[in-house]
Amino acid sequence: MARSWSRLTLAGKILFTVIPILFVLTVGLVLLIVIAGKPIVDFLAANIWLVRFVVAATAILLMSVPTAFLIIYMEMKVIALMNLRIGPDRVGPFGSLLSVVHGLKVLMKEDFSPTGADRLVFTLAPVAVFMATIMALLVIPFAPGLFGADMNIGLLYLFAVSGLTVVGLLMAGWSSFNKYSLLGGLRSAAQVISYEIPLTLSVVGLLLLAGTMSLNQIVLLQGPHLVNGVATGGWFTDWFVFRQPLGALIFFIAATAEANRTPFDLTEADSEIVAGFATEYSGMRFGFFFFAEYVNVFVVSGLIVTLFFGGWNAPFPWPWPVSVGFDPGSLGIGLLLLIAIVPVVGTLILAAPFFLARSSLPAWQAIVIGFVLFNLLAIVAIAGWAFISFDWVAGLLWFLGKSYVFVFTFVWMRGTLPRVRIDQLMGFAWKWLLPASLLNLFVTALAIVVVHPK
Amino acid sequence: MSAAPPRGAADGREIPADDPRVQLDEALGVFEPVPPYPPRTEREAEFYTLGDGEMFINMGPQHPSTHGVLRIVLKIDGENVVDLDPVLGYLHRGVEKLCENADYHHSIAYLDPLEYISSLFCEWPGVMAFEKLLDVTPPPRAEYLRVLSSELNRILSHSMFIGWMALDLGGLTPILYGLIERDEIAEMLAALTGQRLLFNYFRIGGVNGDLNHEFLSRLGDWMSRATTQIEANTMLLNENEIFVRRMRGLGTMDQATALRMCMTGPNIRATGIPLDFRRAHPYSVFPELDFDIPTRDEGDCLARYLVRIDEIKQSLRIIDQCLHQMPDGPIMAKLPRLLRPRPGRAYAAVEGPRGQYAAYVISDGTDQPFRMRIHDPSFIHLQSVGTLMPGHLIADAMAVMASLDPIMGGVDK
Amino acid sequence: MDPALKRRLASRFGERLIAPIHQRHDETEIRIGPGDVPDVCRTLHDEAEFAFRVLADLAGVDTGTSMQVVYHLWSETSADWLRVVADGLSRDDPRVPSVTFLWKGAEWMEREAYDMFGITFEGNRDLRRIYMPPDYQSFPLRKDFFLADDAARSPGAGVRHMEQVHTPRNARPAATIRKAPA
Repeated sequence: MARSWSRLTLAGKILFTVIPILFVLTVGLVLLIVIAGKPIVDFLAANIWLVRFVVAATAILLMSVPTAFLIIYMEMKVIALMNLRIGPDRVGPFGSLLSVVHGLKVLMKEDFSPTGADRLVFTLAPVAVFMATIMALLVIPFAPGLFGADMNIGLLYLFAVSGLTVVGLLMAGWSSFNKYSLLGGLRSAAQVISYEIPLTLSVVGLLLLAGTMSLNQIVLLQGPHLVNGVATGGWFTDWFVFRQPLGALIFFIAATAEANRTPFDLTEADSEIVAGFATEYSGMRFGFFFFAEYVNVFVVSGLIVTLFFGGWNAPFPWPWPVSVGFDPGSLGIGLLLLIAIVPVVGTLILAAPFFLARSSLPAWQAIVIGFVLFNLLAIVAIAGWAFISFDWVAGLLWFLGKSYVFVFTFVWMRGTLPRVRIDQLMGFAWKWLLPASLLNLFVTALAIVVVHPK
Repeated sequence: MSAAPPRGAADGREIPADDPRVQLDEALGVFEPVPPYPPRTEREAEFYTLGDGEMFINMGPQHPSTHGVLRIVLKIDGENVVDLDPVLGYLHRGVEKLCENADYHHSIAYLDPLEYISSLFCEWPGVMAFEKLLDVTPPPRAEYLRVLSSELNRILSHSMFIGWMALDLGGLTPILYGLIERDEIAEMLAALTGQRLLFNYFRIGGVNGDLNHEFLSRLGDWMSRATTQIEANTMLLNENEIFVRRMRGLGTMDQATALRMCMTGPNIRATGIPLDFRRAHPYSVFPELDFDIPTRDEGDCLARYLVRIDEIKQSLRIIDQCLHQMPDGPIMAKLPRLLRPRPGRAYAAVEGPRGQYAAYVISDGTDQPFRMRIHDPSFIHLQSVGTLMPGHLIADAMAVMASLDPIMGGVDK
Repeated sequence: MDPALKRRLASRFGERLIAPIHQRHDETEIRIGPGDVPDVCRTLHDEAEFAFRVLADLAGVDTGTSMQVVYHLWSETSADWLRVVADGLSRDDPRVPSVTFLWKGAEWMEREAYDMFGITFEGNRDLRRIYMPPDYQSFPLRKDFFLADDAARSPGAGVRHMEQVHTPRNARPAATIRKAPA
């Protein structure tokens, strides 16, 4: 047995290890379902909130990484184009797979901690920062019905959780046993704490207007809603940015500072203190910080969109859902024939122009092109149908579109603006943003008392 | 360590295990930039004793922001910089000693990599000093070619300065615009001299190559859009509130201090003193050219930045006049094959983009210089960082250093 | 060539000059003893008829027989460079008073002259090596500098074979050193 094992190649060894394990797991799962299936399903059905939470948390954790990849690629490409460079070009079409490759690369790097560093704290700091950012995604409503948890203190929870990043940054700065990291960590802690106050105060005016802290409710208030039993509104003028312009502006600036983005990116000012708190980090630990920063950008953009720009509402009233009036089930066996014939016919129709126009193109290449084009058209058609039929698809697309406009704005600011100095930054927060947000609050309260005395 | 075989020396000597050079692989602990020997001077003693709450930060030779390999030890109190001590020598190549063992002609190529961005200005005073010792006058066409190429080099250097200035403050884009300018001028000068960076263009008695079609077409093409292009490049920064607010009032130097610190070039013109060696001690064909000397009065980083932008515009005027006034004729004077300079001393200085570049050459009658002393403006200006810094923050240290525009090749020779 | 400057210098410093005032092209050169450096420089800096307020260069020179420190000054009152040569420093222990009391910017130039030649500038608060490492033993630009001697002691020579100096052990410095003309 040992002799034949040692004669296997590596691939053989993997195969002969994994397949028996999978077999055992499958048998165990089947037995579990047979024996204990019904009680488990009953338990879950009684505690649907638990299932919902687990599914939401899993989905958020899984979706955060591709989001981070996309934003990282966007930043590299957009800033390059602004710098009159080309940017990522080789890996994937227009370099779009570069951030994926970067993600794989950081997984393969050596995992070390500096001599004299506090190893436990050093390891936990990226986890703390990452978790604080991901937890914020739990309450942001992506579409009608598509949110992690609809807490009636959603906004409070959000600000509480984003304050936890400070702990992670301080842990990273202190445990690195490096003066640059210490400086960077302290700077970033001071910055984040200072800008949390205008951040929260600028939203209080909004809270007075909306009357609720639940983000889902806030988005619903910015969309079509019932007034005296009649559905009105739904235009973009309902968005809170028009009723709280100063609040929106202050929130935008404070959010830029919270997310450590230019012009407030002293924590990672690589022309001064190398990499700030992340100087001694490498490999996947640094990857965690990196991802956390970009997910934070997405969270902050999502927040701005949710609070001030209508969330998942379209800028115009949309008669949801639009029924296409087509029931595929009525076709019967014809549906099967349709599914078999349409792709083939579509591929051939789309391949024909390429085959006929370029005589040097082999037939199989033309068919491949036709197939790809047919797939693209089919995706567009199905997506369009989903967009007009399901309100959650449409809401998701509107939300993501608006969020990415703001992500683009953040990237744009990074490519254009220089950095402010730490004392200018603190002065700006305490002497300008804080009084401005208080002013906003008082004016809003005054307006409410004057216009709607209750 | 004990398991490894003893490493042998070049001539078979054994190196004992407790030789301090061997113990390189052990963990270092905290790196404190305090030197391991007692202080040699009173200034060193004063610097390396910490006050209450102060600490040392070492901006080491590898740093994304020092302009080359420079090590600065900062003594900070929180974010305030209390004092700083630059440590030089990481790029010291012994150029002066090399020139003593080389021909007069070979020395010109040694002078190029001193301030590699503005290498024509490094060659020029050496060549002028040699010409004084040989009593050779370059023909007027050669002088005009020297002025033309060096003014292009000045614009190249200032464009890069704008880029570095913004990069040290955090703006990622202006350096790439500066590199576009630099690339166009480098291609031009490559058509003229054959090199993009270390031009090696000046010769004793003239220059190496005459104008050619490619150079003139590139130059004409670039000149027609130069003004608008430079306006566009600087517009991003000049009107940017963050940029201006960070540079205004930073590192202010008054006129008396500037003279005491022996500053020259745009750094001293930003304090109000119109010292420009092209007018103060005219050389080459500058008496025949018409240009202004831009000055500013504030003496802070913003003034130093704006003075350099004004100088770019004046350089464009000079290039224009050179092209129109260039006489025909030879580009090299007649020299004997074996040079026999008269025994004696000569000093020559030019006004470069950073300040005064000078060479003091002592000749003993042979074909190798006896002493080749190179004076470099970046070396002088780097001293001033210590006077300008205290009271400001760490972030300002980079801004002040960038505004003085040092190039470490020249600082370290 | 500025004859007016020559007259002014001769009348003011006549007895302190150890050589006749030499003028060639656009340079005027005076030679003084090392002890006279502070007085002469202060006079040239402060008095209105001279007003040499710009120190253009400070250099050390090893002439083979003695050492010199050479100052180049500039003023609006004259079209010439003024070269002040402090001549006659001994090659064994060259000492010169420092001019950092007039020009603080001379500090590093004097440090460089010390580093390269071993010239001690009395009054310079910061006279330590500037280019060479702090434990370097010799002075590189001296005419009797012998590279292999120092490099073998330098910590820059490593322990691995490729990093060591391979000059033969019986190599000796050159028999004669190069001397400058008068």
